[in-house]
Amino acid sequence: MGLFNKAEQKVPILLLIITVVVIAMATMAAVTFAMGDKPPATASKVSLSPVPVAEPTQPQVETFVKMADPEIPPLAPLGPPPIPADNPMSDAKVALGKLLYFDPRLGGDASISCATCHEPEQGWSFAEGISRGYPGTVHWRGSQPVLNAAYYNKLFAAGSTPSLESQAPSAARGGVAGNGENDIMEARLRLIPDYVNRFNDVFGEPWPTINNAWKAIAAFERTLVQRDTPLDKYLLGDKTALDDQQLRGKVLYEGKARCILCHNGAFTTNEKYYNIGVPRAMRWEEDGLAQVTFRFEQYAKGTTEEMYRTIKDDAGLYYRNKNKWSMGKFRVPTLRYTKYTAPFMRQGQFYTLEEVIDFYDRGGFDEEGRTTSFPETKTPLIQKLGLSDEEKDDLLTFIEALSGDEILMDKPKLPPYKPLFTRAELQTAQVEK
Amino acid sequence: MVAIVTTRQCFLAVTLGVGLAIAGQVVAAPEIGPLPVLKVNEARAELGKRLFFDKRVSGDVGVSCATCHEPENGYANKDALSKGYPGNKHFRNAPGLINTAHKKVWMHDGRIGTNLNDVTREMITEDYIMNMDMRIMQERFKQDPLYVEMFEAAGLGEPSNGGVRKAIPEYLKTLTSRGSPFDKGTMSASAKRGMKLFKGKAGCVACHNGPVFTDGKAHNTGVKENFDVWLDPQRHQAFIAYAAFMGIKNYMNLKRDPGAHLQKHAADGSDMGRFITPSLRELKYTAPYMHNGMSKTLADVVGFYNRGGDNDRNKDARIKPLKLGKTEQKDLVAFLLALSGEPLTSSKHVWQEAYPVEYPVIANWLNVPN
Ligand code: HEC
Ligand code: HEC
Ligand code: HEC
Ligand code: HEC
Repeated sequence: MGLFNKAEQKVPILLLIITVVVIAMATMAAVTFAMGDKPPATASKVSLSPVPVAEPTQPQVETFVKMADPEIPPLAPLGPPPIPADNPMSDAKVALGKLLYFDPRLGGDASISCATCHEPEQGWSFAEGISRGYPGTVHWRGSQPVLNAAYYNKLFAAGSTPSLESQAPSAARGGVAGNGENDIMEARLRLIPDYVNRFNDVFGEPWPTINNAWKAIAAFERTLVQRDTPLDKYLLGDKTALDDQQLRGKVLYEGKARCILCHNGAFTTNEKYYNIGVPRAMRWEEDGLAQVTFRFEQYAKGTTEEMYRTIKDDAGLYYRNKNKWSMGKFRVPTLRYTKYTAPFMRQGQFYTLEEVIDFYDRGGFDEEGRTTSFPETKTPLIQKLGLSDEEKDDLLTFIEALSGDEILMDKPKLPPYKPLFTRAELQTAQVEK
Repeated sequence: MVAIVTTRQCFLAVTLGVGLAIAGQVVAAPEIGPLPVLKVNEARAELGKRLFFDKRVSGDVGVSCATCHEPENGYANKDALSKGYPGNKHFRNAPGLINTAHKKVWMHDGRIGTNLNDVTREMITEDYIMNMDMRIMQERFKQDPLYVEMFEAAGLGEPSNGGVRKAIPEYLKTLTSRGSPFDKGTMSASAKRGMKLFKGKAGCVACHNGPVFTDGKAHNTGVKENFDVWLDPQRHQAFIAYAAFMGIKNYMNLKRDPGAHLQKHAADGSDMGRFITPSLRELKYTAPYMHNGMSKTLADVVGFYNRGGDNDRNKDARIKPLKLGKTEQKDLVAFLLALSGEPLTSSKHVWQEAYPVEYPVIANWLNVPN
């Protein structure tokens, strides 16, 4: 399938290093990952010690970090991602997973791969508010970055799948995503000799299976992490990694701007669900194709007939537990790597981080005063912030310090199909029948 | 709701076994003759017609029913092996659909023995045919004002996948042979001699009988395999998916089409290679022939029967050399051709208006029910 003609991979050195480190540290994962909850002494000292307050006019700024509330773990350097016991990492598995990630044959009509909606050059996501869909469809949420996804305990904006292993199949099969059926995708893998060999090497089974394909992709995704952001460096002791403005932003983040209440710990998320006031995506009012998918999603998620008829916004967590207090609540996403993943929020309601900060500053309202479709579940944690323009700038530069260099990757050259039998073998079978 | 979409599991249990009986001895074969007239609900058939030619019935809007079942080819296809859903190709010949509504068992292997509603669902949802999640299809059609009108007029309420599966079979009923020389009694002398052979010396009527010229049963006639099924990975992948799903043993190593083996799974494989007797009407338009398109012309088919079929140790005993002379073979072909009527290619059977390229936006979306 000569879809990708680019030369063999040119993985940035950075990523290679990360990959090696991740694998080397896999055994220590349990220990080091605990950093998210309980940072090592140096890091916690950095976070907890009073940060020089740059603006003398506001010396009384409260910081939630000082409260040492276990519900609000401080920012901390990111450790390696957890590796599940039933899917250990290996170089060969990761290499296989990478090929599969870029291979459109893991989708219904063999035209789109994971990478189509999670493009390395688009922050490992898709740079439109609502993601492109399977051909002939559009999705109904924004594509989330695959980079760093390895740290989530629950995936998708509404947290509907528990692991990367079980996430991949729902991505590859969903009618507006990959729309591929397991049996045909598995059959395709078996007719690609290079895959047959690689699966055999990695999993020791005679034929590729679709479940092993998801495992390999998950292993690859676990190498897509970024742990050397300016914030990580700073928290690990390099006091020059953040400049004064960023340090002022950090104080705001941990105090007046309240971001730390939800975007906390090493991964900058408590992975809880809140309705923070994000307004409905305009696209559903303006685009027939998006309206088609909107209704399909209600139907597919098993809402009641009455709800299917009346609902006009994404109800988020509600689809999982059908509890009306979950209406419009979404998982707190990480703020790492957001420098490259615009637009923001579940349907890309905001195009820039500036807009996001303004939205929070207004207490969860956009420029036109629009807010959530489910006001009854909006969290009291979101309040008007009263940030000055300078403070907004400071906060922005700090949020940017949660991203390191852009991580890019060339599409690998994909192995071709080959007939399984020769004409002579078929001839013999014919004669014997 | 979910049961509606899970492709094939649901009805397979129902249809398997109902399918077909083992090739029986011929007890007085049902007379060949004209087709009964079917009662058709016009509004539903009209809706079915629009659906049949609409690519939005497939997952990536790449194929319609008519992509494989083309009106000019008797709703079959010139390719020996059918096209498939994009990214795939099929491992069998797309059968003609004229008179399909008169059958009681469908598909070359007879795996559906219930009704055309089930066949339609299989076509729409199968990964390598149309690969459609019918819940998306339904929402697409709610977003097409003309469909909203046509479903309503057809008494099917708002567009739904259930409605689609009622309307398409209704349309298929309109695809009925009319005006063949055989039905009109205007056969040539050669064709008449051919009919005599058909019923007599050539023994064709043993299996090809009744108004549709099929006993609805599966037989092994010893048709050669079409190697392209295995030499083209895009066909082989569909074949593997099919054989695995049907629970055929050792499917990765299988080098022949198991056919109706999936009905009883005989342990010794003696029921491999049996296929449902096809209709012999409208053959003028539906070349190539057989489940895998291995016979290019009707002369080839008659030649095949005349030499007693090809190699297969489980071949039906009635398929044996016929010793027909050249003229007799021509007469038989003439008779087969006399079973074809007028082509069904006018707007009466073919939807000729363009389909909208976009889904119009529902105005005032916030204030109207979904
Ligand atoms: C047609 C576009 C599309 C394709 C193809 C696609 N995805 Fe996604 N992906 C999305 C969208 C949109 C979301 C967000 C969905 C949601 O929140 O409900 C998502 C979410 C995810 C997430 C969750 C990230 C998080 O933060 O929880 C992961 C991981 C992921 N996809 C991986 C994959 C993999 C692996 C494949 C290939 C097997 C794939 N995706 C194919 C569009 C796509
Ligand atoms: C009450 C918890 C809470 C607080 C406090 C909070 N957030 Fe969020 N944040 C969320 C949730 C939940 C989302 C996802 C909402 C959605 O997708 O609809 C989110 C999304 C974001 C996003 C978009 C990320 C992406 O990938 O799309 C950014 C950026 C962000 N928040 C920054 C901030 C900043 C800056 C602050 C402080 C001013 C802050 N948040 C305070 C809960 C919170
Ligand atoms: C990609 C090609 C393709 C498309 C699209 C397609 N078909 Fe088919 N159809 C086939 C093939 C191939 C078979 C035979 C399958 C077998 O025997 O396993 C078949 C069999 C059938 C049969 C059984 C005929 C008989 O006499 O046994 C019917 C009826 C039928 N198709 C109707 C439809 C309808 C209605 C649609 C659209 C909803 C459709 N098909 C779409 C290829 C296609
Ligand atoms: C034992 C039953 C049997 C007898 C006798 C028989 N046929 Fe058939 N015929 C079949 C079956 C079964 C097939 C389908 C085989 C396949 O698809 O591989 C078939 C296929 C055909 C086809 C191809 C139709 C198509 O649409 O592809 C033609 C034409 C045909 N037969 C004509 C005849 C003629 C003429 C005779 C007499 C010389 C005859 N048959 C005798 C069972 C029989």
